[in-house]
Amino acid sequence: MKIGIPKALMYYFYYPFWKTLFENLGFEVVTSDDTSKTILDVGVKESVSEICVPMKVFTGHFLNLLYKNVDYIYVPRFVSLSKGIFMCPKFMGLPDMIKGLFDNVDEKILTHNIISKDLDISNFNNYKSFINKFGIKKIDLKRALKSAQQEWIMFRKLNQSGYNLNELLSERQPQKINSDITIGLIGYVYNVYDKFINMDILNIFRKMNINVVTFDMIDEKLIRNRISKFKKHMFWEFTNILLGTAYEFMDRNDIDGIIHITAFGCGPDSILEPFLTIDSEMHKKPFMTLRIDEQTGESHIVTRVEAFSDLIRLKKYKDNIKNQAEEYAKGAI
Amino acid sequence: MKVTFPYMGSPYMYEKLFSLLGHEVIIPPRPSLKTINYGVKYSPEFACFPLKVIMGSYLEAIELGADTIITSGGNGPCRAGYYGEAQKKILQNMGYDVDFIIFDEPKRDYKDFLNKIKKVKGNNSWIDVARIVNIVYKMASSMDKIEKIIERKRAYECNKGEFTKAWNEISQMYRKIRVSDDVDYVEKEALKKINSIKICHVSESEKIRIGIVGEIYVVMESSINNNIEEVLNAYGAEVERSHYISEWIDYNMIPLPSYKSKERQILKKGEKYIELVIGGHAKQSAGGIIDFMERGFDGVIHLKPFGCLPELITQSVIDKIIREYDYPIISLSIDEQVATANLLTRIEAFIDVIKIKRERLKIAR
Repeated sequence: MKIGIPKALMYYFYYPFWKTLFENLGFEVVTSDDTSKTILDVGVKESVSEICVPMKVFTGHFLNLLYKNVDYIYVPRFVSLSKGIFMCPKFMGLPDMIKGLFDNVDEKILTHNIISKDLDISNFNNYKSFINKFGIKKIDLKRALKSAQQEWIMFRKLNQSGYNLNELLSERQPQKINSDITIGLIGYVYNVYDKFINMDILNIFRKMNINVVTFDMIDEKLIRNRISKFKKHMFWEFTNILLGTAYEFMDRNDIDGIIHITAFGCGPDSILEPFLTIDSEMHKKPFMTLRIDEQTGESHIVTRVEAFSDLIRLKKYKDNIKNQAEEYAKGAI
Repeated sequence: MKVTFPYMGSPYMYEKLFSLLGHEVIIPPRPSLKTINYGVKYSPEFACFPLKVIMGSYLEAIELGADTIITSGGNGPCRAGYYGEAQKKILQNMGYDVDFIIFDEPKRDYKDFLNKIKKVKGNNSWIDVARIVNIVYKMASSMDKIEKIIERKRAYECNKGEFTKAWNEISQMYRKIRVSDDVDYVEKEALKKINSIKICHVSESEKIRIGIVGEIYVVMESSINNNIEEVLNAYGAEVERSHYISEWIDYNMIPLPSYKSKERQILKKGEKYIELVIGGHAKQSAGGIIDFMERGFDGVIHLKPFGCLPELITQSVIDKIIREYDYPIISLSIDEQVATANLLTRIEAFIDVIKIKRERLKIAR
């Protein structure tokens, strides 16, 4: 049996988990093609016009898999990844949305609720429905989940040691670059790692000799620590994580500036925005928001990133001179 | 303590509550272009429209001298539950020193909740508080009852504008309530007033009935949805909304199961299309559409602020409902860019669709 996994949304974060899980259960795992103009256009055409671009991309990938003749397309419903915190409502209604948009796809969709205490989604209860649906043994499912979990933890470990997800997913050798500035990139995995939708922003950074740190490379404990200082948490798991990451970046000296990459019309990010803009100003960290959607052009992103990095370099240069001058002055007295 | 609150629907209920509790109340002005401009200027660009309007209301109320803002929180995942926190941050950054009292679910933080209650309670005894809450609840239910009648009857008024005028007068009457019995008296007077208005006869078979579902703020606040109820009434259609403040109180505040039955039924009807409660009123909207259809309404208007997270999922399933039942539904987005002409044209076209559909059915018979 073939199972299709759309290369969109949480794919970038959980693909190693899903791949191991389904392969251990005896499925053939097929992914959709990389996001392309065709996929995006189809997604834009089929989905509701106002919805954010990641959802449109997902719709495009879903259709792409439909044409690939797979038996099932995996559309999990992410509900909650820690107690009292949800995912964006669009994730919680994702299968409903897909079923609403297309006729006669209900049998093809493989969906179940994902409710877990942390980012590790290997909780057996989430996958119980597989037992009857595919006629597999409980023990086999448990074993598959176990190895999927191990695979995912390995993947995250590598990730947190400084390799970005795209390098890990494509099995390309991670490259370390020697750069003079480091930028903290804040954004959801599907905005940061989807090369088509963000005009391959990671590569743009690399070409400009800028080192990039994203939320997935940061130790989760540090982030949780930051979040816990908030009396009332935001309702969305990854928005919370981004908020914690942002505060971590603001306080760290090795991060020279922060770029927030967000999709047009992203709801949770609109609530995140005042916190980031106001507090980065207070911490005197350069901050910029890059907004992407189906209309974004490459030159726009390149220009803005270039201007931003020039500014940071200039700032650094000036700070250096100032420091040196101060040191000389000390000697004079 | 000069208290203010978000403007949603009739503000007199909140005014009554806080003034009976002994606070000085500053009613924010009815949202106008000025409110919207204020709100849009100081809110995040992609925040949803209600946040911007409420932000504008707060700023206007602060200009009038308010120093305490009382509002409700939430558990998400709809953005509305976090409005208070975000607005607090922005207002603080702007240099305003206002006290925010945000009522979250008690179980989030019992002590904090109790402290807030005490702050609002003032020097009243608990018995007085219970009495006041009872009066306000009775007033809200009564006002909603009258409003429902007006939304139905206004479609057939002979002289345009009479019902709206009467409703404004009735609202002022409700404002003067002091004790529980006053509500009964005002209600009687209001009914008398409404029944005395001349109504032009329309035969039962030609009556058009339209339901409004969607996000609670844009459904309830007439100043930002371009008075959609009055517009529909003017086209000769009866209207019923899916949200009334008294029903919201029934479902969210009263812990008795019998008060929750109506909402539960509607949620059940929406289950086929949206499995979980995904925040806001997404599931209620899907269920509400089915509910209106089953009750024989001719069409449903779905209202949402631009980019509303949960309602976008509802909008995605609406197409399916239309295909399945061949039922007229229109989805309208509302934000600061909406032009009245656009809305009017679309509503007019929608009503024409309903009329034509009816003719077609007649011929087919």
